[in-house]
Amino acid sequence: MGRDVLINRRRFLQSMAAVGVVVACGPTATASPSPSVSASGSPAPKAVSIEWWRRNYAQGTQSAETITSDAAVKAYKDRASNVTIAIQGGPFGAETDQKFDIAILQAHNGPDVFHTTGGDVLKYAAAGQLSQPTLTDAERTDFNPSALKATTYKGTVVAYPLWIVPWFEYINLDLFKEAGVTPPTGGNWTYEEFLAAAKKLTFKRADGKQIYGLAHANDEFAFMLIDGGRPYDSTIKTWTFNSADAVSGLEKWVSLAQQKVMPPDFLTLNPNDSQARFLAGDVAILQRPSAMINILNADAKWKFGTNWDIANFPKAKGDQTAWGGVGFIAVREQSDADKKAAAHAFAKYLTGPDIGPDLKKQTPPVEYWLAPAGRKSAAGIYGDYHPAKAKVATMGAFTYVLPNVSTWSEIDQKYLRPARDAALEGKKTPKQALDEVAPQAQKLLDEANK
Amino acid sequence: MATAAPRRRRSLAAALRRYGWSYLFVLPTFSLFVVFTLLPVVQGLVLSLQNARVTGGEFIGLANFETLAADPVFVQAVGNTILYATVVVAAQITLALVVASLIQPLGTQAHVFYRALFYLPLVNSAILVAMVWRWIFNANPFGLANTALGVIGLGPFLWIGSSDQALIAVILSAVLTIPGGGVVLYSAAMGSLPRELYEAADLDGASWFSKWRHITVPLLRPTTLYLLVIYTILAFQLFERVYIMTNGGGPNNATITIVQLIYSTAFQFGRYGLASAMAVVLFVMALGVALVQFRSLRSDVEY
Repeated sequence: MGRDVLINRRRFLQSMAAVGVVVACGPTATASPSPSVSASGSPAPKAVSIEWWRRNYAQGTQSAETITSDAAVKAYKDRASNVTIAIQGGPFGAETDQKFDIAILQAHNGPDVFHTTGGDVLKYAAAGQLSQPTLTDAERTDFNPSALKATTYKGTVVAYPLWIVPWFEYINLDLFKEAGVTPPTGGNWTYEEFLAAAKKLTFKRADGKQIYGLAHANDEFAFMLIDGGRPYDSTIKTWTFNSADAVSGLEKWVSLAQQKVMPPDFLTLNPNDSQARFLAGDVAILQRPSAMINILNADAKWKFGTNWDIANFPKAKGDQTAWGGVGFIAVREQSDADKKAAAHAFAKYLTGPDIGPDLKKQTPPVEYWLAPAGRKSAAGIYGDYHPAKAKVATMGAFTYVLPNVSTWSEIDQKYLRPARDAALEGKKTPKQALDEVAPQAQKLLDEANK
Repeated sequence: MATAAPRRRRSLAAALRRYGWSYLFVLPTFSLFVVFTLLPVVQGLVLSLQNARVTGGEFIGLANFETLAADPVFVQAVGNTILYATVVVAAQITLALVVASLIQPLGTQAHVFYRALFYLPLVNSAILVAMVWRWIFNANPFGLANTALGVIGLGPFLWIGSSDQALIAVILSAVLTIPGGGVVLYSAAMGSLPRELYEAADLDGASWFSKWRHITVPLLRPTTLYLLVIYTILAFQLFERVYIMTNGGGPNNATITIVQLIYSTAFQFGRYGLASAMAVVLFVMALGVALVQFRSLRSDVEY
């Protein structure tokens, strides 16, 4: 140390003051450790903590929701280091739904951003508890129109469509071969071709084992859409599921039951049961959502293209070839503008095109999109995960998405399913069954529209 | 007469002075009862008069009950619940009485063994039991009931896969389960019946069945009444068996019950007011049936 570098206390204080003035008034070439000033000199984003509520998230577990949610938060931290995100979970089911309802609707507190589905979006929107997304025109056209429509409340988009969960036909190629049935070319078939295949695929082996052509879970009604029948009119004000198209769709479904191509307990097959029958090799065609791809991929016995494949829902008079639900990311309305802005930014990230590639870069890589994305710009990455997903990545565009009606689950469970069961059992004609439930369904629809 | 009231007051005051502190010991349990039982019941009654949803509700008088009266699904649920309760309670009490009577003459060790044998299944999870019954009454040939009946050339039946047979399968699943609690209670009660009545009957040359019919069964009336009331309330609360065996209502709502409908109305459809009205109807049904049972079976016999 030379003598010239020594400074006295007065000079030191003068230097510090000068540095302070420079830091406070002008740009600096060095990165500031202060959280209040960014490298570019503009104020750094304020530190914000938000809460994300995600169904089926359970810290430390290996559920898909947990893995993808943790990975998403980690990836977002690299993009917005000022935002701290805490995840809260809860199993799928009534208890968690109630937790959401009590927090959002009663306490007006809880999640800043949350994952939701179905009629919940409208319920929260009607209660004024959703903060509207600010979508640019480009973003608006990027989203699947039917998904965007499903999250529109009184003309306003109230949540970000995350993904569309389309239903497909999973086919057991070994059973097709055994029954001498050619799989549908390009995955497309008409209802008549489908019915003929299902009939041939229903057979008894020499050892007495019965194989069935088709299985689906008892909470589905895809066949009622096949001729263009829809639950509501375009304004979602009139119940139309007893229209001629809906009746003929149900008649096609009843034909499948009459031909006995489904297991005898098809009316009580829950999703897991129907999947189990397919996985056990008892059923040749299984109607399930896109998540079935992961289940088959997780089982070494199943090799895509070798012993299983995916086909579209059979086509009849209707335009659409599939049906499905939509998952949303919603932002809760609140007075804290910083939290709300951070929640919107995070919601956009969760539903946007960047998250897929970000998570793919992690070690180990994480598949974020559990279902085809609800927007075109994010669709590609889903197809990159697996050839089966590449095949269905574009199928989502054809999906009919059930518009959100807050009383839908009541209409469906209490009236529509029993009516449909009565028709499938042959106790009522399809027209009689659907006409009978129309007044109750209309009443509940009116209630939802109040 | 003029001095009776002051005397009563004096004795009450004396009792409070003497035993007042003992209420402190009752207080914790009583508080829990009030908070977790009494208040919810009162709240349920209040909610049944409102169009309550999670966001709150307004007073609507008896409109929820009018809605229920006009709802075919609720009417079906009431019918199914009553049918299930009638058949299952009658069968379980008869079965418990018969089994307890059969093991009564056995030695002490055999007695203990059979009581434990019949009671142990009760510790099983109701969900697991229902899942086993779901497999037993599966509509496919691999269902155990169909396999067993196939041996004697019967079936296959659709069981839970058919709206005509699903409730029968649910009822059978309850009837074919030996009611362990009832066996133990009847068995204990039989052990305390006065021996001299049987000795007198023996001197009169009464047969085993006559003694059972004219001594055992009448003297067991208090136990029968208790089991009848408890089993009826339990049968009215049928939920998990239907929920698991038939996915919560079965084909064409064939197995829908009141509690199943309360669950879906409250927790799936978010109509707490309507669900509370259903709960009130169920409460009134249980209370009414219990009162009838008390009146028809009460016994002055003490032994």
